Amino acid sequence: MSETTMHSPVDVGPLTSPDGGVTLADAYATTKIQVRAGAATAAAAALGVSYGRSRRNADGDLVCGTRPDEWTIYGDPGRSGAISATVPTEGFVTVIDITHGRAMLRISGANATSALSKICNLDLSDELTPNGAVFSGSLGAVGCDWVRDDQGGQTSFLISCERSFGKFLFIAVADACTEFGLSIPAGWELHPH
Amino acid sequence: MIIVPCPNCGPRNSGDLRPAGEVISRPDPATCSLSEWREYLYMRPNPAGWVTETWYCRGGCRRYFTIERNTATNEIRGQEAS
Repeated sequence: MSETTMHSPVDVGPLTSPDGGVTLADAYATTKIQVRAGAATAAAAALGVSYGRSRRNADGDLVCGTRPDEWTIYGDPGRSGAISATVPTEGFVTVIDITHGRAMLRISGANATSALSKICNLDLSDELTPNGAVFSGSLGAVGCDWVRDDQGGQTSFLISCERSFGKFLFIAVADACTEFGLSIPAGWELHPH
Repeated sequence: MIIVPCPNCGPRNSGDLRPAGEVISRPDPATCSLSEWREYLYMRPNPAGWVTETWYCRGGCRRYFTIERNTATNEIRGQEAS
């Protein structure tokens, strides 16, 4: 499988508030492999997570139960071939590289949940979305797939949406973070409220 | 706002779902009359009370499921995957 050269819809580096309470970063290059498989297939057994949960495999890839009978595997950039090769394809199974079709961002920090809650109707409390939780829902009116993937003990969410909504979503999330000290890059136009 | 319990995703804002209408039985198109078919396509009882409805969880699991909803109070009981 050949790797495709990708161009992120967001051309800015990580944005961090002065107090470090929230960091917003483009994660578009993350390899994203979508697997759809029947529950009785070898692929379902190998992936080994149920809907709504995630786990890190031995290679460090994040395997997520995105929907019933559907998984998404997130890995380092340029690993689509290697990741796809690990999924058994016997039976009713499809394995698709959706890296280029999905924008992705990572938002981390103590204020990440508060910032996201401003533009999301999901309950992002630790009780309902603990570390490892996988879910879908609208964020800034954009349909997104979410993973709670804490890093270094800090709350962190990986959020992906269709690529064409990527910059819109990034700006909407950045706007929500301004209350917590994040500065918007010069030249960016926020969405009208 | 209505909170709709998806059997896969749990309670969700109805804005994340799409109502697909009352559950009605489909007549056999080979044997039913034109008026029965028209009734099936276009007419709904729409009572002020309990109805069984199909909903689509478009923002979450992307599955159809049925619930019982009181159209007068929006109270919801029972849920199952379609």
